[in-house]
Amino acid sequence: MNELIIGRYLPGNSWVHRLDPRTKFVLSLIFIFAIFLATNVWGYLLATIFTLLAVALTGLGFRVFLRGLRPLLLLMLITTVLQLFFVQTGTVLWHWWIFTITTDGLLSTGIMFMRFVLIIMFSTILTLTTPPLAIADAMESLMAPLAKIGVPVGELALMVSIALRFVPTLMDEATTIMNAQRARGMNFNEGNLIQRAKSYIPLLIPLFINAIKRAIELGDAMEARGYRGGDNRTKYRQLQAGPRDYIAYLAFALFVLLLLGTHWLPGMVF
Amino acid sequence: MDMAIHFEAVDFTYQADSPFATAALHDVNFTIPEHQFTAVIGHTGSGKSTMVQLLEGLLVPTKGVITVGDRQITPKTKKKELNQLRKHIGMVFQFPEAQLFEQTVLKDVMFGPKNFGQSDTEAQALAQQALRTVGMGPEFDQHSPFELSGGQMRRVAIAGVLAMQPEMLILDEPTAGLDPVGQAELMQLFARLQAEGNLTLVLITHQMDFVGQYADHVLVFDQGTVIKEGSPESIFADSDWLRNHQLDLPIAKQFADALAAKGMDLDHVLDLDQLTAQLARALKGGPHE
Repeated sequence: MNELIIGRYLPGNSWVHRLDPRTKFVLSLIFIFAIFLATNVWGYLLATIFTLLAVALTGLGFRVFLRGLRPLLLLMLITTVLQLFFVQTGTVLWHWWIFTITTDGLLSTGIMFMRFVLIIMFSTILTLTTPPLAIADAMESLMAPLAKIGVPVGELALMVSIALRFVPTLMDEATTIMNAQRARGMNFNEGNLIQRAKSYIPLLIPLFINAIKRAIELGDAMEARGYRGGDNRTKYRQLQAGPRDYIAYLAFALFVLLLLGTHWLPGMVF
Repeated sequence: MDMAIHFEAVDFTYQADSPFATAALHDVNFTIPEHQFTAVIGHTGSGKSTMVQLLEGLLVPTKGVITVGDRQITPKTKKKELNQLRKHIGMVFQFPEAQLFEQTVLKDVMFGPKNFGQSDTEAQALAQQALRTVGMGPEFDQHSPFELSGGQMRRVAIAGVLAMQPEMLILDEPTAGLDPVGQAELMQLFARLQAEGNLTLVLITHQMDFVGQYADHVLVFDQGTVIKEGSPESIFADSDWLRNHQLDLPIAKQFADALAAKGMDLDHVLDLDQLTAQLARALKGGPHE
């Protein structure tokens, strides 16, 4: 359970750590869209170099990011392998029964995989270098204009920050319950798919019950201390963008422009 | 199965070789004698719970050897083999009521025995026997475990472990969060189980009164290692040393120490019964031994 990197924050004082969380949030979103601008080998090369550069700036080491990819590997493989068999254009390389592998299929599979890797790595940069509460703050600040049209921005941000806050707590709880059931002879990784799915019932039921209990207690505790959402709440920590953030935005603008430029480079177009 | 336990130079690091690596135990050496009541004390974060998970085979040591009876657990031991170990060791975690999940109390207690290969009828007999042992009458068998009070849930969860008929029982702060009467009742239950079933029992606790009253053998943990091991008399003999390690004395022993400071020496005082017996004798005017 503890091996999951997704959603974990690793404290540090790197250039990326010190960026305004809003900057990191917006830029991560932009990256996810920008990656679709890459249409040939040069585009992906550029995006990969850019990602590796950003990773280097976090000062956390490349291995941490690779570990972050590991739990999602299966999901990525299933999605990309489907792609492999569904794209039927191009030269046929291999054919058996209803399965056909073509050059186009192979190519789009590779691209899809690369996209996954880059997007996950970039979002991992955001979550590894930004405390969860700062992410929630950033979302609240970014959504602030929506409050004018009646979106309960404060409540939404609170929900997000509570959810993020309880991820580690629930993980710990899941580990404890899993241990308790293993001590009672439960094997979580044996048998066929149905047996395995069933074996999670003794974990999930207590986990849900505890989560609901916790939610009720938290609600009571907040009300007892007079919490009311919305209503012009002020923040102890003010978000402030500085020169560093402008540099980051500039670097991104340059990246997107270069990415657009790769369209005119010779090379296979996907 | 022989159930004595030895830890030899055991190290354990959580998430070794990762940025999250945290050393929990280092150079731990001790023995848990079989068929005895062993208490494990030490303040929060001293490594007690990690040690217990190693014992139960939920974790594998990073270094060193753990011997449980005729089995050895080393850093190379496969997870599969550890499941066999769990058959013989019953483990009651902190707040064990968090493990309840079935629709009825009886079914929940049958979960353990069934996992270890008992038939439905056998499991049911074992479950009913375990429930009666912890004082839950047949009227509760068909209740949902979530309708019970906190204390009753705790008992059902403990029955769930007892139903597996372990030769060794590990209890991680089993009385935390219960009222004083409930705590005393549970401890009496454990002491009775240990004596009647000739169990090897390991109790992790902060309550020195229970240690003084029931333990045969005591391990003291501090900063991830065992710093003292011995009989309760020898552990509680040096009150200054204990306070330096942020540990308390049993109340009876504190009282006896206060009397000793005033010049009244009592010996072998670890629980209230011993204290009152000796005081009664002393106050009658007879010379105490």
